[in-house]
Amino acid sequence: MLLSFCCHQFEALPSGALFWRAENALLVADLHLEKLSSYARRGSLLPPYDTGMTLRRLEADLDLTGAAEVIALGDSFHRDEGSTTLLPADRLRLAALMGRARWTWISGNHDPAPHSLGGTCASIVERAGLTLIHEPKRNQQGIVAGHLHPSAHIAMNGRSVRRPCFVHDNRTFIMPAYGASTGTLNILAPAFVGLLHWPTLEVAMIGKGRVYPVSPKRLITGAEW
Amino acid sequence: MPLHPQIADWFASKGWSPRAHQLDVLEATEAGDSALLIAPTGAGKTLAGFLPTINDLIDNPAKGLHTLYLSPLKALAVDVQRNLMAPVTEMGLPIKVEARTGDTPAHRRQRQRTDPPHILLTTPEQLALLLSHADAGKLFGGLRRIVIDELHAMVTNKRGELLSLGLARLGTLAPQLRITALSATVAHPEILRDWIATPVPNAEARLLLGTGGAMPDIGILNTEQYVPWAGHSAAYAIPDLYQVIKAHRTTLLFVNTRSQAELLFQLLWEANDEDLPIAMHHGSLAVEQRRKVEAAMAEGRLRAVVCTSTLDLGIDWGDVDLVVQIGAPKGASRMLQRIGRANHRLDEPSKALFVPSNRFEVLECEAALEAVQHNWQDSEDPVSGGLDVLAQHVLGSACADAFDPVALHDEVRRAWPYRDLDWETFEHVVDFVATGGYALRAYERYAKLKVMPDGKFRIAHPGIAQQYRLNIGTIIEEAMVKVRLVRGRGFKTGATTGPIGRGGRVLGEMEEYFFTTLTKGDTFLFGSEVVAYEGMVESEAYVSRSQGKDPKIPSYMGGRFPLSTFLAEGVRKLLAHPDDWSQLPDQVADWLRLQRDVSLLPQPDSLLVETFPRGSQNFLVCYPFEGRLAHQTLGMLLTRRLERARARPLGFVASDYSLAIWGLGDFSGLIRTGRLSLDDLFDEDMLGDDLEAWLDESALMRRTFRNCAIIAGLIERRHVGVKEKTGRQITVSSDIIYDVLYQHEPDHILIQATRRDAARGLLDIERLGHMLARIKQHIVHKPLDRISPLAVPILLDIGKEAVFGEARESAMADAADELIREAMGQV
Repeated sequence: MLLSFCCHQFEALPSGALFWRAENALLVADLHLEKLSSYARRGSLLPPYDTGMTLRRLEADLDLTGAAEVIALGDSFHRDEGSTTLLPADRLRLAALMGRARWTWISGNHDPAPHSLGGTCASIVERAGLTLIHEPKRNQQGIVAGHLHPSAHIAMNGRSVRRPCFVHDNRTFIMPAYGASTGTLNILAPAFVGLLHWPTLEVAMIGKGRVYPVSPKRLITGAEW
Repeated sequence: MPLHPQIADWFASKGWSPRAHQLDVLEATEAGDSALLIAPTGAGKTLAGFLPTINDLIDNPAKGLHTLYLSPLKALAVDVQRNLMAPVTEMGLPIKVEARTGDTPAHRRQRQRTDPPHILLTTPEQLALLLSHADAGKLFGGLRRIVIDELHAMVTNKRGELLSLGLARLGTLAPQLRITALSATVAHPEILRDWIATPVPNAEARLLLGTGGAMPDIGILNTEQYVPWAGHSAAYAIPDLYQVIKAHRTTLLFVNTRSQAELLFQLLWEANDEDLPIAMHHGSLAVEQRRKVEAAMAEGRLRAVVCTSTLDLGIDWGDVDLVVQIGAPKGASRMLQRIGRANHRLDEPSKALFVPSNRFEVLECEAALEAVQHNWQDSEDPVSGGLDVLAQHVLGSACADAFDPVALHDEVRRAWPYRDLDWETFEHVVDFVATGGYALRAYERYAKLKVMPDGKFRIAHPGIAQQYRLNIGTIIEEAMVKVRLVRGRGFKTGATTGPIGRGGRVLGEMEEYFFTTLTKGDTFLFGSEVVAYEGMVESEAYVSRSQGKDPKIPSYMGGRFPLSTFLAEGVRKLLAHPDDWSQLPDQVADWLRLQRDVSLLPQPDSLLVETFPRGSQNFLVCYPFEGRLAHQTLGMLLTRRLERARARPLGFVASDYSLAIWGLGDFSGLIRTGRLSLDDLFDEDMLGDDLEAWLDESALMRRTFRNCAIIAGLIERRHVGVKEKTGRQITVSSDIIYDVLYQHEPDHILIQATRRDAARGLLDIERLGHMLARIKQHIVHKPLDRISPLAVPILLDIGKEAVFGEARESAMADAADELIREAMGQV
């Protein structure tokens, strides 16, 4: 599905990635690699498969779009040391992906330190008049960010559904979290207050194999944000 | 006569004589046997359990723990202590009796481990805790007896599984011990006897039947009022009920759900012209409030208490002379136990009244009445053991001491629910506890259990034992949210609008999932007030006072128990035999006659399927009488199949008796022209691939998984539901863990445990399977021009009960279409 933002065209993919055709770049936010395994130290031996799932998702998106560049908008690793705890198979998979595309790791609050996996580590990327950054900033034009894991909850004809979503107001664009182990936050939650301008809001929900544009007036708050 | 003179004198001083079954238990114990005593309430069961202990301690007043008493309720442990101290003191015996629950002060619990009383009264969870300490062998090594109370209430759930594993452990630590279990009447007492026999293989277990009490005096409410077609409020019966309450000393009014309790309580107070002291008791009320009601009850200050299953078990609540069951009885054994709450004197009949809240329930009450009068039992049988509980126990064993896996496997198999546990599965469970049990070996260096050179498993460090003790037990609280009263309209949906209305007082707590179904403005009953939902603020639900008197959302949720197979048979039989209808109220008999005239009556060995148009939609209604859970599963699977048959189903609603599916396709026409075959539609093979495909997406599996993961120790209990101020969860949600695990290892131990629980509990697959086999090739189709009398109740439920359907994805598609229309200026 095509989304128009600050005079740029983006393709919103059902995986949660944005394909920026003009730049031949794939934008992803909040991969949170090595999230589940990071609980092991505290005694919760959670299934160590989320990293592999996220990387396979990326692989499919690169196949689909043929993007020559990947820009990860922060929180790529759930913890800084995630870049060192990758299991051998995942490390190989990531190396193969990085061999196919130019890679930029934007730092996030979960992974502030640069690492030595290759590609470029940066805190911010300016590109074609847009600012790519982890945390959205208030009152600044042309920000593309992640961090908040937005989801939309809608009610329609007595049914209700909550899914991750792309959301922007033509000033700030907030991407859904891409990682297989990420939770979501309802865009009506207090964390979004003042960040988005309601009258120009555009919301696109992620469904099975497609992305659905929905009217903001359908949005509801559920029991969980 | 083995009864010690000191005890015999005490009986004599009271003017009593020991009952036969009390002496039977004593004799069994003296002969070195275990015993299961089945006796009705009020038969002096508790004393029967302790007489052998007192008898033995008089002659052998040794120090140390002699008898361990286990009950499902901590209140019961405390109450038994009080009741037991009286005779012990009166006999002048130096026997120490102490209770140990989560409320017992830490210093006393600590002391109980080093200097135990003769008799320790506790719960299965506390037993697991005690067993996880290195000194368990010393504490329990000299144990002579275990007394288990209300065994029937524990063997059907995970607490029973945990208890059984604890018993097996005790059997190893103290081979000389004997078990005495007390139980209400059940369908298969011999299984319960085996249940207590296996942990002590060197002893026989006797089955002792207490002398039955007087036949209960039961009736169905005889009313002049109009009995409604559907609904669960029993509002029609309020004037009659009020008269009944006035005519008795203390009446217990049992309902099936919390919301029914709320509604009934409100209606009774509206009718309470004489200001009779009428109270309410259910699990969502604050604990202090419940204790107050219990105290008032015990002192005989209340005339009536509206209650849920929270009062099914436990202590005597004063002089109850009438038990009223409002709404569906659901099962005969359950009713007998509830009725036993009235009149704890054995020789007088308990008095009970059934009050059906709709017409199908009239039939169910008739079936229950017949069953109860014949003392027919339909209680659930004990269940085989869950791997999540076993995982908890394995870790607990390692916390106490390094274990040899072969020896532990042998011991675990002495727990009745795990008697058939094979070595391979056991090994998988140990592997799960140690490293997560994943095919991908990621956690060797974080392993919780380490293998020592002698092959034994020990915990990797002491922190693991601490973590284990914080997460012990099998009771998982439903995620609850606080309900706070605010001024209406002060709070607006949407984060971009004005200030949030300031919070007022907290009304109580409610299950979180209830609110997932609400939208702003929906009204429901809570704390006997009608309130309107305003929204979620952080993790509290804000509600305002509503002007209206009728709540829009009844939040009935059907209660936890489905109609028993046994009562279902009774209802089917009654429906099929018009000669027996004379016992029914005229209005109900007329309803059935009308059904016979315009459609067909459901027969016991076939399945009636009616199809008819109504409004712009078509309906398919069938009458399996297999309970709401099995019907919901059936509805989910049938709608998938109808979808494939292009019958365009839109949704369904299920009750204990029937299932209604509606859609856009012409069901009657499709069947008539052979494009839809009912035999194929209801074929048993739906329990194969269709079930699998549905489970893949089912929210039920996710909810069940959460419980299993907590019990098995994968997710920490204290982390559950913890949220930051922003509403973001600090910890990873169990849904995500489930999705990741299910996709990669659908045969993982925890997925197996989840499947078993879902199939048995929420899906009721076994029962659905039996039904499908029974009605195979026996489907009777009746196409109609309009709705049938029997279909009216279920159609009235639409809009009141949760409606299901494959609608989540299509909701987004509809919303997208709407946006497009809006953009085209068509709205």
